[in-house]
Amino acid sequence: MEPKDPSEAEKWATKLIQQCARAISEKDSSKIHHLLWMLNELASPYGDCDQKLASSFLQALFWRATESGELRCNTQLVAAAAADKFHSFETARKVMLKFQEVSPWTTFGHVASNGAIMEAFEGEAKIHIVDISNTYCTQWPTLLEALASRGGERPHLRLTAVMTASTGGKSVASEIEKRMVKFARLMGVPFEFHAVTTASSLAAAQLREVELVLHGDEAVAVNCVGGLRKVSVEERDAFVRTLRALRPRVVTVVEEEADFTTTGGDLVECFERCLRFHEVFLRMLEESFAATSKERFLLERECARSIHGVLARGGNGGDCERREKASQWCRRMTQAFSPASFSGEVVGDLEALLRRYRTGWSLMATRSSEVSGLYLAWKEEPVVWVSTWKP
Amino acid sequence: MQYPEAEVIALSPRTLLATNRFVCEICGKGFQRDQNLQLHRRGHNLPWKLRQRTSKEPRKRVYVCPERSCVHHHPSRALGDLTGIKKHFCRKHGEKKWKCERCAKRYAVQSDWKAHSKTCGTREYRCDCGTIFSRRDSFITHRAFCDALALETARVAAASNMSSLTSISDGSFYFTGGIMRSNMLQSFPNSILKPSDDSEMVNEQARPGLSLWMGSQGVPHQNLSENLGILNSHQSKSPSIIAYQLHGNPLFSYRNLDQNQSSWMDQSKLSSSTSSLPSLYSTQQHQEMVIGQDMSATGLLQKAAQIGVTSASCPSTLLTGMEMKCNSNDVQYLDKYDAGGFLHSSLAMEKAVDTFSLQQNYMAHKGDGRGGETRDFLGVDAPSICASTLNGWI
Repeated sequence: MEPKDPSEAEKWATKLIQQCARAISEKDSSKIHHLLWMLNELASPYGDCDQKLASSFLQALFWRATESGELRCNTQLVAAAAADKFHSFETARKVMLKFQEVSPWTTFGHVASNGAIMEAFEGEAKIHIVDISNTYCTQWPTLLEALASRGGERPHLRLTAVMTASTGGKSVASEIEKRMVKFARLMGVPFEFHAVTTASSLAAAQLREVELVLHGDEAVAVNCVGGLRKVSVEERDAFVRTLRALRPRVVTVVEEEADFTTTGGDLVECFERCLRFHEVFLRMLEESFAATSKERFLLERECARSIHGVLARGGNGGDCERREKASQWCRRMTQAFSPASFSGEVVGDLEALLRRYRTGWSLMATRSSEVSGLYLAWKEEPVVWVSTWKP
Repeated sequence: MQYPEAEVIALSPRTLLATNRFVCEICGKGFQRDQNLQLHRRGHNLPWKLRQRTSKEPRKRVYVCPERSCVHHHPSRALGDLTGIKKHFCRKHGEKKWKCERCAKRYAVQSDWKAHSKTCGTREYRCDCGTIFSRRDSFITHRAFCDALALETARVAAASNMSSLTSISDGSFYFTGGIMRSNMLQSFPNSILKPSDDSEMVNEQARPGLSLWMGSQGVPHQNLSENLGILNSHQSKSPSIIAYQLHGNPLFSYRNLDQNQSSWMDQSKLSSSTSSLPSLYSTQQHQEMVIGQDMSATGLLQKAAQIGVTSASCPSTLLTGMEMKCNSNDVQYLDKYDAGGFLHSSLAMEKAVDTFSLQQNYMAHKGDGRGGETRDFLGVDAPSICASTLNGWI
């Protein structure tokens, strides 16, 4: 008998999912049925990591196998959105803050971006930050505090947050506004908040709305934390060029390191990449949160939704967030901006940040000179990329 | 260049990093300076010799950093102090040998490490909602989004009948801002405020929070009406209805801020009383608070304008419906600067009234010799903080 390798047994979900994807691309219907049945038996959104993976991917595999992704996905999305409490401010806030407490996944990007912005705007009297992010403005309290406590004159800060439907839209925006305004007052920083909301996907049109709110005498920063991937793939280059039109002095881009756009028609490859990224994410969640955590459950549900969005249909279409890797974003950004580097101070802050969390996290340099920025790595695997740009 | 005639000394890295080069041959104890070693040698009954200072005019020595890429490498940016250049070199270019056990932060200079270790991890941040944080960044983010912030304002806004300007009702937040500043004060001692500073500084900061009551009582009568008179001149209305007019007062409106603000400042400088600046701060703050506050506070101001000196019972009516915690915080200020107990106190209303009279006495005796330097919790001048706050409404 062969010795049982514990890691082999643990990764059963990955194997089954991979095999099923292959079966679908080979159109081996009996195998498809068999594997789907197995996954269905073992899957559970309340179980361990493998069971959760199985559960989310099972749905996507089914849609692809039956080519019913288009129709079912939309229905599912609508139903989910209606019932989803994640879109309420209360829940979003709770989840976001808890997530940031237990994991540097988002705070890494915040610290890097805030550091770059603070340094770029040293001595500026009027600042305008255009925020295109998915973190519900949790980035800004620490920046406001830093502005208040760094000494010297406090600049006048205007913040324009671009929010899509997936980040809650108008009602969430108004809750956020209330709190930001109050907190800024507490910090003694003159402050204004605008929200640019859109029910459809993010596009250059929103930037034109932003342009209307800019004043000529302001130093502009554009901050995109998980925002660029909301733009549909074919519109991304145009979006980046439109960013240039806002005449920012500094741009910060934070994205998750995965490539869901260049798989061509290769279903197997598509599933493979999705598996790799989301597995890391789910395992990271499992190790960061307590065992029974509502917040973690909601994040896992978002994870499932992300998987469905990417895999339910072939091609690069769909109203979902298709992540791209640092190298890809760099190619897009260099059309309109030149890469800048993070100062030693910021790097120090990032290292200090990681020390405040459980072990497993590290700062990683990029592997190629064509790719600027830095990575946040989980167990040596780069997961989040941060970068800063100037005109 | 600070000392153009100075002698520029360029010490080597080895010299700069060397500690205790001067070693006693008997016991092996090391000293940084030869003078210290000589004095030590006396204890062993060894021959010792102290070098005399040269009789000629001692020439100022400045030191450059040996690191070529360093900004202090150039003589024009030399440092005037030997210990300073040693520490600088160590900190910037030296190996960080000293590591904090708690947070793993590394230091090249031992004294820096010691200073950090004393405070690291000992600070706890407590939000009004009761949650405790060990990490400052988590605390800040939580604070900004906490319902405790929203609830206070919501309750106060609901109580007030000034519905016209919801943003102005946020002026009541300014009051709670005082509370939170007290909390923030404890939380951000290093960057914003140094608690080890003289207590005078602390009490100056204490004043803004308490000056909310000052507006009605701590300020001598003529100042109050003088300040109210300022408002009068802007809108030529009788003092009795000032409270209600405040939200319509161009002083507090968005657009006319600048012009009114400067004249507001000027007026305050004219009043020669020692508590003029506190009253500027307090009256502004008070009025902002009043706008969004309970009717009792509004009524109080009105009453104050009509009657003049208000009775000692005023603070309690004023305090009705206000966050009790702020009172306790202020009392803490009075007693001593107690960083730990600061956030955990809970005093009854009666004590708060006592606080108030204590404060009054304190104020009367203190005198404000600080001119324009009244500081708020964030260590910033009151006028500028008012300005920025008001600006924040634009």
